[in-house]
Amino acid sequence: MRRDTLVRACIAALLVLPAMLAGAKMARFDSLAEDLLPRRQYDVAVQVGLDGHGEAARVRTFAPRSDWHQQVVSEESIGPLPFSTSDVGLNREAVWSGGQVPDGVQAEYRFSVLTSDVVYALPEGLPVPAAYPAALASDLAATEVVQVDSPEIAAALTLAGADSGDIASRLTAIHTFVEGLGSRPFKGTTDALTTLRLGEASCNGKSRLFVAMARAAGIPARLVGGVILESGHKRTSHQWVEAYVAGHWVPYCPTNGYAAELPSTYLALYRGDEALFRHTSDIDFDYAFDIHTQMVPSPNARQTMGPLNLWALFDRVGLPFALLRTLLMLPAGALVVVFFRNVVGLPTFGTFLPALIAAASGATGLAWGLVGLLIVTLGVVLVRALVQRFGLLHSPSLAILLTAVVGWLLLVSLFADAVGLASLAQVALFPIAVLAIAAERLYLAWVERGPRDALRDLAGTLVVILGCYVVMNSLALQLIVLGFPEVLLVIVAADLYLGRWTGIRVSEYLRFRPAMGVVA
Amino acid sequence: MSRWSSLFGMNRRNVELVHARNPRRYYPLVDDKIVAKERLVAVGVPVPATLAVCEGLRDLPALLEGLADQESFVIKPSLGGGGHGILVVGERVEPGCWRKAGGEILDLEALHEHAANILFGAFSRGAMTDRILVEPRVTPGGVYAEMWGDGLSDLRVITLERQPVMAMVRVPTASSEGRANLHQGGLGLAVDLETGRVTRAVRNGRLISRHPDNGAQLEGICLPAWQETLDVARRAAGSVPLGYLGVDIVHDKDLGPLVLELNARPGLEIQNVHGRGLASFLEAL
Repeated sequence: MRRDTLVRACIAALLVLPAMLAGAKMARFDSLAEDLLPRRQYDVAVQVGLDGHGEAARVRTFAPRSDWHQQVVSEESIGPLPFSTSDVGLNREAVWSGGQVPDGVQAEYRFSVLTSDVVYALPEGLPVPAAYPAALASDLAATEVVQVDSPEIAAALTLAGADSGDIASRLTAIHTFVEGLGSRPFKGTTDALTTLRLGEASCNGKSRLFVAMARAAGIPARLVGGVILESGHKRTSHQWVEAYVAGHWVPYCPTNGYAAELPSTYLALYRGDEALFRHTSDIDFDYAFDIHTQMVPSPNARQTMGPLNLWALFDRVGLPFALLRTLLMLPAGALVVVFFRNVVGLPTFGTFLPALIAAASGATGLAWGLVGLLIVTLGVVLVRALVQRFGLLHSPSLAILLTAVVGWLLLVSLFADAVGLASLAQVALFPIAVLAIAAERLYLAWVERGPRDALRDLAGTLVVILGCYVVMNSLALQLIVLGFPEVLLVIVAADLYLGRWTGIRVSEYLRFRPAMGVVA
Repeated sequence: MSRWSSLFGMNRRNVELVHARNPRRYYPLVDDKIVAKERLVAVGVPVPATLAVCEGLRDLPALLEGLADQESFVIKPSLGGGGHGILVVGERVEPGCWRKAGGEILDLEALHEHAANILFGAFSRGAMTDRILVEPRVTPGGVYAEMWGDGLSDLRVITLERQPVMAMVRVPTASSEGRANLHQGGLGLAVDLETGRVTRAVRNGRLISRHPDNGAQLEGICLPAWQETLDVARRAAGSVPLGYLGVDIVHDKDLGPLVLELNARPGLEIQNVHGRGLASFLEAL
């Protein structure tokens, strides 16, 4: 059949073309695919809440600096309190302050960072220098909580085998010794000696002991404070250390066992023995970190786009990358829908409603996305049933449904915000017209074909949303599509193939059992 | 050929029959009942009379006025599919008030609402406006009337390039609420093309031998005027340049076979009724 030949030729072209494009890109950059692959970006919100009782209040924390390990790509502050950052020593202080701060004030400092794994190769045979520049004096000094001069620290140094040898071997010995101590999530500050005596501590105690031993061994060392980047909501911060080796500050984390290396999940916020937050003493204060992660295109990948540089375009017109990513992932979602409809034979409301809902659920999270969808759809179906009583004409009643969708979305958002469900509040991003039509179809299915059929279709829709969500939010696939947008052509090839696929759908093996003489 | 490979699923039907033989541009010729009826009449295919056609809201008062005196009639959205929006009205209780096929009372106000909804495209596969076709109620004749008096049974003939390929009768039951819909408890009777004889009867995918409401024997029924009916189906299929069609025919007590409508995407349930895949019938051609 001529059509089939044509389709086969198109599929072949759509498979070959992207392979050639990807090859050309990699050749042009003379680089590995990984340079073109997207980077993982962390979006961090430092959320603070304070009851100022109407008095002046001030909260000080630290903002991240860009360095070889972490690159801050954007930052902003949200909330009613004046916010500013300023360089103080090695750190960037971030301060909220206000004159008459009422109770229940919420403020956020948000930033996005790109991070990378860093591993140091320490040269062997480097002796501990006899003297250091004066600027490093404080990184060698004893403090109240880093008891460098204590005989117990000296004894520990000997015990650890770190009292002689080159810098690298001493640091390794100290690291091994401290890492070997027990871990315990103590609250509050633990000093170096206490850690040594107890034989266990949390990250700040172990880090202080590391610093004390390094300094006692004649190696400048300092504390580093920050957070471990992982998606979610948390209050836990983290501390590790840096030791000065031949002009470089080399990271060690005795708590998690990283020696002379820093994983990309570590975000440094400050250096020195500081508290992450300081605030006016007579206020009630609370804080949390809210961290999300997403893939963003690498700088190299952006350059390879040439005149089709979508990332530059989105940057210029001020559209968020997240939108571009959603757009690029939508074809994959649509392919999932096609698969469920034409291969599995699962009924859904609205052809691409599941893909659109899955895309919108990127903001709410899958669970809240489904909850939001159910609340809104069922709410609108109720309105539809009410409208039926008035005997309205078709278009006006659809217009009322659309309004009902808007109303429900805003109500759910308001409610979610009021009870602190930030993710559910994002349901306002749902595709409104699509929801109105889905609700109309659900209602008609319910009335014309009965609740069983309607609920079956609804269940089918939920399953397909789940499938779309898993695929569209798959980091592996995002990695590929963002790094090599030409894969969209491969997706079209798959659509073409399924578009001419004449096989029997899975559900039809059930439906046509009578025709095939299979007794139910 | 294994049994399953003779089956036409939705994908195969769409690719090999609908897309391959039915050019999209000719769909309006069958999707619009008024247009289809004009073409059928033009080639001499018997169809029900037309009582009225309503082109828009402006004509609606005149239409209702005209219908108030009618004893019974059927209102159809011209673009409707799958029986949506079809209202079977009669007998009349008093002027402007009827009993619907299901037994419910229908007054002029409800009729007005329904007619307006049709004109606004509520039953019209996404079209924004529609027309109304009003026809007399068909009174079934012959075995169609003897076996099942309530509701209207119809004959579905699948044609490929004008040649009848498969045929079945769809019979309403009490549980299908007067509709001849196979998915809602209606019966499907497999009809042998050569003889017009009912070879099997199926309900919800299960073989049955008698009508569940009146106990009438189903297998072995011979449909009346079979060769004439097949000829009507052939001529109806020839009225439009579409290769794969479902021709819906009713048998009127006085007028004999009448074509109700043509369908450019006929369903596949007929395979369950016959217990065989469509491909095995196509091979036999």
